[in-house]
Amino acid sequence: MALLYIIMIFLIISIIISFGIGANDETMATLYGSKTLSMKELLILATIFAILGATLLGNNVSETVGKDLLAIEVTNSIVLTILISTSIWLIVSSAFGLPISTTHATIGAIIGIGFLKGGGFGVNWSTILEMGIWWILSPVIGYLVTYGTYKLIHKFVISKLNGFKSFIKTEKYFSYILLAVICWTAFSRAGNDCSNAVGIVVGVGIGVDTNILLLITGLSFASGIVILGRSVIKNVGTITELHPSTAFASEIPIGVILFFGTLLGIPLSGSHMLVASLIGLAKARRAPTKKGLWKILIIWLATFPIAALISIALYFPIETFI
Amino acid sequence: MKLLKDKKNELDEINKEFLAETLNGSAILHEALSSFIEGKVSKELLDGVIQSERKCDELKEKFTQVLFKDKRALPFLVEDRYNILMMIDTVNDKMEFFARFLKVNPFKLYEDINDEFRELCNACTKSVEELINCVILIETDFDGAYKITFTIEGLKRKARTAKFDLLEKLYKMEDNPLKVYLTSKLVTYIYEIASWTEETSDYLRGLIIKYPSR
Repeated sequence: MALLYIIMIFLIISIIISFGIGANDETMATLYGSKTLSMKELLILATIFAILGATLLGNNVSETVGKDLLAIEVTNSIVLTILISTSIWLIVSSAFGLPISTTHATIGAIIGIGFLKGGGFGVNWSTILEMGIWWILSPVIGYLVTYGTYKLIHKFVISKLNGFKSFIKTEKYFSYILLAVICWTAFSRAGNDCSNAVGIVVGVGIGVDTNILLLITGLSFASGIVILGRSVIKNVGTITELHPSTAFASEIPIGVILFFGTLLGIPLSGSHMLVASLIGLAKARRAPTKKGLWKILIIWLATFPIAALISIALYFPIETFI
Repeated sequence: MKLLKDKKNELDEINKEFLAETLNGSAILHEALSSFIEGKVSKELLDGVIQSERKCDELKEKFTQVLFKDKRALPFLVEDRYNILMMIDTVNDKMEFFARFLKVNPFKLYEDINDEFRELCNACTKSVEELINCVILIETDFDGAYKITFTIEGLKRKARTAKFDLLEKLYKMEDNPLKVYLTSKLVTYIYEIASWTEETSDYLRGLIIKYPSR
């Protein structure tokens, strides 16, 4: 009975956290920004690929996040605290339309709990540092690869176009490729992010079938995109002016890096990469970016300490309840 | 997908018809102005300009209705094309306004200003013709369309010079003040056609520059 009670609580919390992750998912932003699909069409597509990605790709990363980060005994109350703290911060930032990294929020909450329970020795710093390198590198790679990709597309395709008709024809082809690339990205992101939501539950080993857990989180992830995610999609999709060709240039690095990151079990931040890619694109096109990007940067920097503080504040009430 | 293609073809057809009708309106206006310079006000021709504008309005409404049906036809460039259509519609409105003004106040033009008036009228109707060429060319040839925008700018300058030369002569005339006033208004209204045509060509030039192949 007690086990069933715990499983139910964990399931509810997993649903809440995957909802929060979905609410902050901006994968479809470039489809919206380039007007390739309407909001309704892209939400349907996001739902399909969220469920497929969570169930088919989610197993790889879950184990890394769940098992390697804490150097203390992982109890049910610790897991719950981390999940709830992450979801609170994700939902709050989504309500303001600001894209943050789910991985960063989770790690921030883990660091908070690690400090609270074990001081400086509560967290497995070597794993955190190993991941930290990728967190810094992935937006840099995203920026540079998008910059280079756009320059290549411009040199070999766009600069050779003459007249609206040839533009429309070419952009149509790009929109088909973009659609395929984004579906692929949404697929791998759902795998990456949903695995973060269930990773710690898997780490605790409460005996729930991971596939069922991933299916439930996939559904909840999709609900998050549909209900709250649209404001994040709108916000990111309008960082700079997009056409299918330029949106394509900004999606390539994200799709490639996330896919291999997921396969290799590296928890990457798709949000950071996409925003960096769009800024790289604007720079390459000498196009303006929208005002207020500093808010995104601030919320990125604030994610670690705020998630850590939320987890510290929530730990004792949750432990008492459990 | 078939629906989108049908809609795109429908929009293209309406657009072509709209441009052809604008050219037709401009040709009728040119004819009406020629007979006005010769001392005749042809109400039939002026009515022709008004009817042409009405037809353009209907086509514009049809274009807008097709555009805002449940599905989008041209996700890329749709706003730019819509803006071009609306700006050309304003050129049509200005031609119609001029025709209506002359229709309700028919009078004989002073012979002293015939040359300047003819130059002004030629520049105006020629600029509308060039504008339509530019809009057609922008679909397939940015460089060609870009050159035409400068031709239109030149025509507007020519019209401006003719306008002020004419006004200079007109304001020195000692005649019925009402006729002087009506003539100056007429000159201003016809000049506005060239002026707005140049505004539209500036917009087209901006689009050509905006597109990344430039």
